[in-house]
Amino acid sequence: MKILIQLGLLFGVCILGDLISAVLPFAFPGSVISMLLMLFLLLSRWMKESTIEESANFLLTNMTFFFIPFGVGILRYAALIKSVWWQLLVVNLVSLLACFAASSWTVVLITRLQELWRRRRNA
Amino acid sequence: MLEALNTPMFGIVLSVLAFRIGMWVNKKIKHPLANPLLIAMTLIVLLLVLFDIPLDMYEKGSAIITLFLAPVTAVLALTIYRQRALLMSSLLPVLLGTLAGSVASLFSIKWTSGLLGLDRVVLASLMSKSVTTPIAIAITEQFGGIPALTVASTVISGTLGNLLAPLLAKMFFISDPIAHGVGIGSCSHALGTSKALEIGEVEGAMSSIAISLSGIFTVLLAPLFFL
Repeated sequence: MKILIQLGLLFGVCILGDLISAVLPFAFPGSVISMLLMLFLLLSRWMKESTIEESANFLLTNMTFFFIPFGVGILRYAALIKSVWWQLLVVNLVSLLACFAASSWTVVLITRLQELWRRRRNA
Repeated sequence: MLEALNTPMFGIVLSVLAFRIGMWVNKKIKHPLANPLLIAMTLIVLLLVLFDIPLDMYEKGSAIITLFLAPVTAVLALTIYRQRALLMSSLLPVLLGTLAGSVASLFSIKWTSGLLGLDRVVLASLMSKSVTTPIAIAITEQFGGIPALTVASTVISGTLGNLLAPLLAKMFFISDPIAHGVGIGSCSHALGTSKALEIGEVEGAMSSIAISLSGIFTVLLAPLFFL
């Protein structure tokens, strides 16, 4: 019964997310709205972590399983992938380097600026 | 005989079996290339092709599995919530770091795709490939891309990130564990994070925070790059 209610609650939040997504004047994925709703419910303490814990842990630990059908869908696009496979690898590698460099250097830069700021205030 | 398989249960049972085998091989080999999702996908594709089973028959069951994609995305909120103390301890560097990572990722994907002459549908499927798979699929569907291509690309970038994480830190002179963790999580989501957890506790925690944050930033920014 506990898990049934938890799953019902989670699906309910997802429907709410889709509803909001349909009403919004711009495109925004409903599932991500559900995630933000959930975060809001947790932070505002309207929902306790224990209220959804078991089902949430089940979904999070088995997350990869739910992507299998999309992966198998690749069968339908075999010809397309055969024609662009090396381009896909290049795009992946370039963006990996760009993304890693940008995010890690920004963290270093901001941390140093914060230290500098702190030292200046204390001086 | 094939008629008996014409039920949603066929796709579900096949997926569970393939995933079980994928997890088992992954545990035995313990190498990022032995990715359970990749193994499960390959097994199912091979079986369908070998026995000439139509993809539609598998997809009857898989439609029920993908129904769970929305709640999986929703409970990602819990991963941010559980790390909130750590996030608050270095809020500004982590937020701006993941933001910069998302911008760089989107920009470089758009730029290299244009350079290599990839068409719009392929670009729509690749834009989100640095972020966690459920969010990446949502973005792809929003822009009319091919989710299958997105899943393949997120697995590739996650695996590359996992393999290259220690090397990337050396290449870009990163010694700060927070910076290293945010970098790994921003560009290679959960697959990279499993490596970050091996490197160190701070790296792992920061990497897992970066997963959901960069997902949110990418959802917000992707329309600017795609239109």
